[in-house]
Amino acid sequence: MRRARMLLVLALCACGGTGGELVTFHAAAAGPADSVSGQPFVFTNALGYQVTLTRARLHIGGVYLNRSVPSSGSQATSCVLPGIYSGQVTSPLDVDVISPDAQPFPADGEGTTDRSQTGEIWLFGTAVDATDDRTVLADVAGTAVQGTGTPIEFTGKFTIGQNRAVPVGNPALPGSSPLCKQRIVTPISVDFALAQGGTLLVRVDPRAWFRNVDFAQIAADPDNPAQRKFLDRSQGQPDLAFYGGLRAASGTYLFNWQSP
Amino acid sequence: MEMSLHKPTTRRAARHLVLALAAAQLAAPTRATAQAQAQAQEDLRPPQVVQRSEAIYPPAALAERREASVTLEVTVDTSGRVGDPKVFESGGKEFDDAAMAAVSQWAFTPAEESGKPVAARIRIPFAFRLPPLPPPELATPPGPPATARPPAQGEAGAEHPAVETPAKQEGEELEATVRGRARPRSRGASDYDVTVGQLSLVPRKTAAELLKLAPGILLSNEGGEGHANQVFLRGFDAREGQDVEFSVAGVPANQVGNPHGNGYADLNFIIPEVVSSLRVLEGPYDPRQGNFAVAGSAEYELGFEERGVGLQVGYGSYATRRVLALWGPPGSSSRTFGAAEFYETDGFGKNRDATRGSAIGQYEGHLGETTYRLTLQGYSARWHSAGVIREDDLGAGRKAFFDTYDFGQGGNATRFSVSGEIESRSGSVVYRNQVFAILSGARSRENTTGFLLDVQDPQQTLHTQRGDLIDQSTSATTAGIRGFARTSLDAFGRRHEAELGYFARYDVTDGTQYRIEAATNAPYHVDLDLHSQVADIGIYGDLSLNPLSWLTLRGGARLDLFTFDILNRCAVQSVAHPSLTNPPLDASCLDQESFGAHREPVQPATTSSMAFLPRVSALVTPVAHLTFSGSYGKGVRSIDPQFITQDVKTPFASARSIDLGASYTRDLAGTALALRTGVFETKVDKDLIFSESAGRNVLGGSSTRRGLLAAARLTGGFLDESLNVTLVRATFDDTGLLIPYVPDLVVRSDTSVWRRLPWSPGGVPLVASTGVGVTFVGRRPLPFGDRSDRIVTVDASVSLARRPVRLALTATNLLDAQYRLGEFNYASDFHSQPAPTLVPVRHFTAGAPRQLMLTLEVLLGGGS
Repeated sequence: MRRARMLLVLALCACGGTGGELVTFHAAAAGPADSVSGQPFVFTNALGYQVTLTRARLHIGGVYLNRSVPSSGSQATSCVLPGIYSGQVTSPLDVDVISPDAQPFPADGEGTTDRSQTGEIWLFGTAVDATDDRTVLADVAGTAVQGTGTPIEFTGKFTIGQNRAVPVGNPALPGSSPLCKQRIVTPISVDFALAQGGTLLVRVDPRAWFRNVDFAQIAADPDNPAQRKFLDRSQGQPDLAFYGGLRAASGTYLFNWQSP
Repeated sequence: MEMSLHKPTTRRAARHLVLALAAAQLAAPTRATAQAQAQAQEDLRPPQVVQRSEAIYPPAALAERREASVTLEVTVDTSGRVGDPKVFESGGKEFDDAAMAAVSQWAFTPAEESGKPVAARIRIPFAFRLPPLPPPELATPPGPPATARPPAQGEAGAEHPAVETPAKQEGEELEATVRGRARPRSRGASDYDVTVGQLSLVPRKTAAELLKLAPGILLSNEGGEGHANQVFLRGFDAREGQDVEFSVAGVPANQVGNPHGNGYADLNFIIPEVVSSLRVLEGPYDPRQGNFAVAGSAEYELGFEERGVGLQVGYGSYATRRVLALWGPPGSSSRTFGAAEFYETDGFGKNRDATRGSAIGQYEGHLGETTYRLTLQGYSARWHSAGVIREDDLGAGRKAFFDTYDFGQGGNATRFSVSGEIESRSGSVVYRNQVFAILSGARSRENTTGFLLDVQDPQQTLHTQRGDLIDQSTSATTAGIRGFARTSLDAFGRRHEAELGYFARYDVTDGTQYRIEAATNAPYHVDLDLHSQVADIGIYGDLSLNPLSWLTLRGGARLDLFTFDILNRCAVQSVAHPSLTNPPLDASCLDQESFGAHREPVQPATTSSMAFLPRVSALVTPVAHLTFSGSYGKGVRSIDPQFITQDVKTPFASARSIDLGASYTRDLAGTALALRTGVFETKVDKDLIFSESAGRNVLGGSSTRRGLLAAARLTGGFLDESLNVTLVRATFDDTGLLIPYVPDLVVRSDTSVWRRLPWSPGGVPLVASTGVGVTFVGRRPLPFGDRSDRIVTVDASVSLARRPVRLALTATNLLDAQYRLGEFNYASDFHSQPAPTLVPVRHFTAGAPRQLMLTLEVLLGGGS
């Protein structure tokens, strides 16, 4: 009788679940772990330049996680695929990426306990689908020297607006290359499940931005001819190489999940 | 003589269980027949009743809240004695026996022909009814003075609720009216014949809220006043009626092909004051139940007890105004009435204003043994709605509790219908035929996701998110007929009953769904554009067998044929290789499929399918007052026309349900007690699950619901209490996970108390009354393992009546609890944060705050 009563209670009680869980988590961003706080960040790129970064800041509009498996062409259809997201950090953050210190986002992230397999870095200032956006997303300064050559002092401010618009190749597909695709860095491979109270640390490695930059081709700064300056445009080796590094889905951004 | 049989005296009301009260209406021939005969044969005088005895309501029938009509034929001999009684129309053995026992006590003055006593053979109909008790309204304060009518014979000491007999005065002409409609037989513990009665004192904004008097029902409304209520029934999220078959005076209320949901049932056109009774059958157990009766069915019957002309004027919180005109011509039955309502409110919080007007008229007449009924109805409404609020926006102070994101949300609705019904008798066979026609239109604009779904497609010109406001419109014409023939059978020494019936309905519906651009309020995309012609032809057979005195078997089967002729005007929405020279770009309904090859954007599809629906019940009454019952049945919901494919058989969603229950009823010192409990299991092969992106329920997998319910009703001379509790566990069959949003615990209490005050200003009694309704809803499961908050609301009213005036103050959400009527977990982006919000979070719709309303009623003329 007692067992029957227990079974009845179990069968009817307000127990059981619908699967999954909603969670909030802490989120932060930082530079490479091997950088030194307060010190310039020194590295050598693929073209043999020794680069000393004295300033490297990145404006992150948002961070997202989704459940889809990264694959080539998976983002070919649209920027946003409602229903696949498992985590988000929607408060923007300016990150000093030559500091290894975790710099928290202004607000916690939200998500579900579904397994996340893809990370996304959204680089925008006003809106991810804005037709133009002059917000400086990457702000860099430093020097580069190749062998015993003359050090090249450079600066650069990078935006993603009409300067990054991709011309429409097929008139029947005028919406195939929206700017939001330029602003979303994906698919970044991740493999973890969020948990309540954990911490997501996004490490940004500025070495990847400069990996293929030929500093010698950077144009002189019209306002200060002694310096060179990235022109923030979609042409020229330095700009294209930097922009390629900024948007690289591998090597630039590392998602590190720390369970509570 | 139209007898006011539903107005118990104070003494009677106090001493009797007025749970089941009825009219045994003395009839020679019917009124019209008697009058015709009187005119033709002035020298013929029918027998006159001088002594009568009430029939005792059969306890088992009372427990199951069953009603019946019995007509006896008796001979009144030259000395006025009753003899040779025979059952002319059976209401079932127990009712027949009760009527026979009563009539044997009757005495008459004999009929006379040319002044000489003669023997006469007459018919006496007994109507065993569970009518609504008179609300303590102005014309019928509960407990009218004992002198209102003389007590019936045999009243004192009655243990059971008695069938009330007309207060016939000696010398009055004999005449009678057969009242009411032949009612279907009870299917057991899950069959609720809800008597509103004094519980009309409990505040209810709409007639839909009367459903709460049956266990397991929770109503919600996220769409604003005027939008159909969302119905949760015994573990089903039936949305706006997709899983519950609704009818009003026999006219279907579910809309076929409504893009908001196939089966959408807007009950706001019903004026609550003219609802006389409500049958809620929880489960598909009656062969009369048709399409959409997956979770069950609800049948509203219309009537207005008062006679005269009445006016109600109310004013309340948030500039809410209501005017209601009601009339019932004296001398006519309660089923002849007219009612018109106007309602307007600014609404609480933002964007919740509403306006509606409704009119319902019904006439019931008699021609010989034929009763005919004409019902006319018109309704129009417009409203705005606030929609959902994100919990994180509320917490961060970005939005207020009663706020809104999108002021474009709202809707409008119209419904006009006409119904004609004839019920007649030939020998022992009762026939009924009904024809109805409905013109209806509805528009609903809802935005549940903000700016999430309008992704950039390659074929579209570049755009930002234009907004997810869904604009759904329906225009429908419905015509249909239904009817039955019922007869009694004598076999094995017992009386049984058989019924054959039919139902035919044809719907022509145009349904569209657009997406509206927030910046311009213009449609930017067509989701759906359907022209549907849907026919449903059903036949059923139903037997009621009484093989043993303590056993009744009921059941039969139903066969439904559904045919669909659908024209999808926007069938092609994607082109694989658009033409370079003539690309479709932003058009939704495309005329090419690949490489520019022309193809019309439309797609016709026709198909049909049949559903066979067996349904059986067994009722066992081992001892007086106690009945056990078991039921099994299968129900179906036809599929939304947008899912129809050419020549592919209509994929019905079907439910198989089983119930076991017990009921107990007892008359205890003038107080009626009715208890009922049961367990049930329902399996559905294609469930409906809410989709926030589609803005409605969409097809899901199979699911199972198990639960128990208990209900109690206590009715006395100054108190009416209804309490019900339902526990349900609803799970998906594949995962075993709970079905989101379905409440697993619902408790509802309705209490009315009324009392005649010791003062009688001007000699007119003063009656005070109060009604309280309490709802408790347990924590509902939400997606992602979450649970909603509990809901506890209290509604109350107080009123003071002194004929012909009544003043009432009602309060809904009396305690002013700030509660979330609906809670949802899903992704939305209302542009309330710097970056798009794409992961599921908690949303809610705000429950209404405390609202007061003062209503003045005046009822003039008529009498009762």
